[in-house]
Amino acid sequence: MSSQDNSQLVSQIEELSGQRVSDCYQCGCCTAGCPVGELMDPPPSRAIRLLQLGRAQELLASEGIWVCASCLVCGTRCPRNVDYAKIAEACRALILRAKRSQVDPDVVDDQDLQDVPQQAFIASFRKFSV
Amino acid sequence: MKYPYYPGCTLYSKARNLDRCGRLAAARAGFELEELPSWNCCGAIYNTNTDDLAAQVGPVRVLAKASQQGRRLVTLCAACYNVLKRANERLHATGFEQDRQRILEFVDEPFEQDVEVVHYLEVLKELGWDAIRQRVVRSLNGLKVASYYGCLMVRPREVLKFDDPENPVVMDELMATLGGEPVRFDFKAECCGGYLVINRRAVADACSLRVVENARTWGAEAIVTTCPLCQYNLESAQLRRGTVLTPVFYFTQILGLALGLEPAELGFEDNKLDPVPFLKEKGLL
Repeated sequence: MSSQDNSQLVSQIEELSGQRVSDCYQCGCCTAGCPVGELMDPPPSRAIRLLQLGRAQELLASEGIWVCASCLVCGTRCPRNVDYAKIAEACRALILRAKRSQVDPDVVDDQDLQDVPQQAFIASFRKFSV
Repeated sequence: MKYPYYPGCTLYSKARNLDRCGRLAAARAGFELEELPSWNCCGAIYNTNTDDLAAQVGPVRVLAKASQQGRRLVTLCAACYNVLKRANERLHATGFEQDRQRILEFVDEPFEQDVEVVHYLEVLKELGWDAIRQRVVRSLNGLKVASYYGCLMVRPREVLKFDDPENPVVMDELMATLGGEPVRFDFKAECCGGYLVINRRAVADACSLRVVENARTWGAEAIVTTCPLCQYNLESAQLRRGTVLTPVFYFTQILGLALGLEPAELGFEDNKLDPVPFLKEKGLL
């Protein structure tokens, strides 16, 4: 992927999320507060850094954007008003809109269907599938 | 006082007890919930993508329906509260006028007036803790309760304006009013892992167990919440681990208990982790 394609992707992500990645000064508050920061690769601050460096494709190919549960702690604590949850949502949208689902409603476990609240299914399918 | 009420999908099935105790306890507390005559799912999550207007249609239709019933819409489910309130805010946002028009044309339900989305806990607080205290017939007798708010009640703070997003206290105040001892702990507003329980269960379990363990460290004997997914995650993560179990209640169950609802009305059979032996041991049943 050329650097031109990459910078186009960064613009798309910024537009979809309504966030400006250059606003971030890499203090790391978001990653420090993230409840799944240690399981998220890359964690919020490093994900934003990738976009600042124009490496959007790397972020889109990462696991990290799918581990975020949009709890919004990162954006709440950001001193620069950057909301990483919105950036991750935009990244996921770019992938999902290319028809690449991450969860499949057809293979839900029967026991889960009986136990897990509807709220979780609806949220999961809307967040992670086309 | 009668309020238009939006139960949402989960309160009609897996979280029936949250709903039923909420309605019955409201009657005891001095107000009435009047369910919207026709409602649809709010969408369960709020979509933040700037171009995704379709995701706004569901919650906006609910708001329009509510506006035909009254000025305020009461919710109990944390997810419904979050989604409806955010959709409502966006609908009125500056710069959103054109999109608003497109959504309203699609929804095709008239807005009779502006609607305010409020949570049941806010209604209780408005009634006043003293008024509720007077209606307590069974004190919690010093039960050490951790009030767990999770994400959806408090964030994003600039839209929800529910309470202090780092240290919410409304539910704690309610528990104290009912005779309980609110437990201060660190993860009141930390994520339970949410819907990751479906496709990344280990991540969700780690989040949930961290919340439960922290509450226990601070002395909690029980946890209360207002979110069906938090309730499920906190209990099922403990059951999967299989060791020390802390019961997790809906706050409406504890409210109902204190206001004198019958045990059969409290819906404990729908709690995965049977709380009846615990409540008996504490002399509350």
